[in-house]
Amino acid sequence: MSEETVDVLIVGAGAAGAAIAWSLADTRMNVLCMEQGDWMDPAQYPSTRLDWDLGRFGEFGLSPNSRGRETDYPVNDSGSPIQISNFNAVGGSTILYAGHFPRFHPGDFRVRSLDGVGDDWPIDYETLAPYYDVNARMMGVAGLAGDPAYPPKSVPLPPVPLGKLGETLAGGFNQLGWHWWPSDSAIATQEYEGRAPCINLGPCLTGCAQGAKGSTDVTYWPAATRKGVRLATRCRVREVTIGADGLADGVLYYDAEGVERRQRAEIVIVACNGVGTPRLLLNSASATHPNGLANSSGLVGKNFMFHPYAMITGIFDDPLEGYKGPTGCCIMSQEFYETDLSRGFSRGYTLETTRGMGAVSTSMLGMGTGRVPWGEGHHEAFAQLHDRTAGMVAICEDLPEEHNRVTLDPELVDSNGVPSPKIDYTLSENSRKMCDHAVARGREVLEAAGAKEVLGEPLLAVAGWHLMGTARMGTDPATSVVNEWGRCHDVKNLFVVDGSVFVTSAGVNPTNTLQAFALYVADRIKNNLENLFD
Amino acid sequence: MSEAYEALSPDQSRALTAVLDEIIPPSRDGRLPGAGALGLAAAIEDKMREQPILQPAVVGGLETLAALAREAGAGNFADVAAGERVDLLNRLAADAPAFLPGLIFQTYTTYYHQAAVLEGLGIPGRPPHPEGYPVAPSDESLLDAVRDRGPVYRQP
Repeated sequence: MSEETVDVLIVGAGAAGAAIAWSLADTRMNVLCMEQGDWMDPAQYPSTRLDWDLGRFGEFGLSPNSRGRETDYPVNDSGSPIQISNFNAVGGSTILYAGHFPRFHPGDFRVRSLDGVGDDWPIDYETLAPYYDVNARMMGVAGLAGDPAYPPKSVPLPPVPLGKLGETLAGGFNQLGWHWWPSDSAIATQEYEGRAPCINLGPCLTGCAQGAKGSTDVTYWPAATRKGVRLATRCRVREVTIGADGLADGVLYYDAEGVERRQRAEIVIVACNGVGTPRLLLNSASATHPNGLANSSGLVGKNFMFHPYAMITGIFDDPLEGYKGPTGCCIMSQEFYETDLSRGFSRGYTLETTRGMGAVSTSMLGMGTGRVPWGEGHHEAFAQLHDRTAGMVAICEDLPEEHNRVTLDPELVDSNGVPSPKIDYTLSENSRKMCDHAVARGREVLEAAGAKEVLGEPLLAVAGWHLMGTARMGTDPATSVVNEWGRCHDVKNLFVVDGSVFVTSAGVNPTNTLQAFALYVADRIKNNLENLFD
Repeated sequence: MSEAYEALSPDQSRALTAVLDEIIPPSRDGRLPGAGALGLAAAIEDKMREQPILQPAVVGGLETLAALAREAGAGNFADVAAGERVDLLNRLAADAPAFLPGLIFQTYTTYYHQAAVLEGLGIPGRPPHPEGYPVAPSDESLLDAVRDRGPVYRQP
């Protein structure tokens, strides 16, 4: 590869990298994607084993710091109350995501105009709407049309069944007169484009052995490679290099044996997520870009946003069959999504119900909370808990703050010696109030649904799934890193297409939106090839 | 690291089995076996073999327990009268505080993924994949009230 100059080099084969690779293949350009991880083998996912419930504590755990995979890079997140939860493989973090697939609301692109906080995006909902449609088709989105929380939208597959647990919780929402709707889910509820249908295995968060969950290794990548895109795994990109003309001319990377190599390219697209992307740009500092590549604004790595998660769990009298069905995808409520300042905070959150726990997790909850003793009475106490828990998480909109940031750790490095990212993040008062509000409302709805007891956790520490804002988009080079179609202001053949470009975070999962944005950028590139670098 | 592992003696294995049956005894209705009778001592030993760091706490705890059993006039914890075993384990918790919590954790997390236990709980004793689980289609009339409210989003 080292002697060849490719037309387009994409760094990262996750949600966004896969989408833009597939779309750019239309051009017949020579497209290469480099991924530091490997292809996953679904036969190795924990749901194929009796001890599947322990998978999340081992090599399929949430944190790259504890999984023990060489393909991950360590993250110093000791300066944050929320820990990073990403994954490095073909498919990226979609390998371990729940498959929740909501769109942003129209108002999410106009936060400053509507509520006087954050900033407006330089694009709007209507710009992305056609790309949401394409993405729904490619990822295989299941849902139910007619959700009154959204403008009309296409949903190609029927919704994930609610099950006894979901219908029980729906009853609680109905009793309170609150909005709820079957979740839009990137889960094939029927055989779809060669993917087997969901058979309600349960543990989506440790990989889908059935191949029903829309991780991009089973959605975009097979289609992209059929169209000629090449995907090189175990290639860890260290830095993007700049030529004498000021344009990106390729990357330096390490192959699987740890040998440093060079790949030349006419266009470089970075799709490494809201932590990996600023890490790469900051590691690409040079004499002409001493503060990191594309960082004349000083904003690379700043305005880092998570979605702070609260978790509320109810304990019910009767079995709920909660082990059946996709763990994270059931129903969602946007009753508290839009701003109502009487609640004490700006913006809002989505409540997403979760299914029940496996027997091992139940025993651990019982042990941790002292509800299931050892010895006499053990079985009776366990029976009071097992298959009787149901709950929800609240996914809260975080607002951009410059002091929340990703920098390079002065000491921590990955297995190739590349400096690791360091996270400094403080939960804002606005987000904290939102989490507290969500716990109180979650308690109400669970009690309305019949829970005899409710446990609330106002901030879930292990829930750093959504990484956003660290290379924000905008029209002013002084206040943004990339323009409204992902091109870096400073380097006109360098693009960013992941959650880094988000101006604000909305109160829903970001994957659908960052993929729609990647598809939009691909179209802008395709339609402007003649004058792309002007 | 597995070379560092030293297998439990037959006496220690017998005592461990008896301890496991105290941590999770058989259920009164007979549907669920005790953790010791289920053979989890071998699984605990496997874990120690994989992670020798666990061994000192387990072996140390068993040695302390053996001493307590001797004080109670028994040659092995397994020979202590059934009604006295819990008292001994509570004394052990004071004398060897690292032993019992770690062993309880290992016992719970091992016991509850055994096929016999899952079946006793009314769950198929198999991995979720490849058979999965059937779930009936949802009752969409539950959404009537939500539809009736009309749009709940802001259009900028």
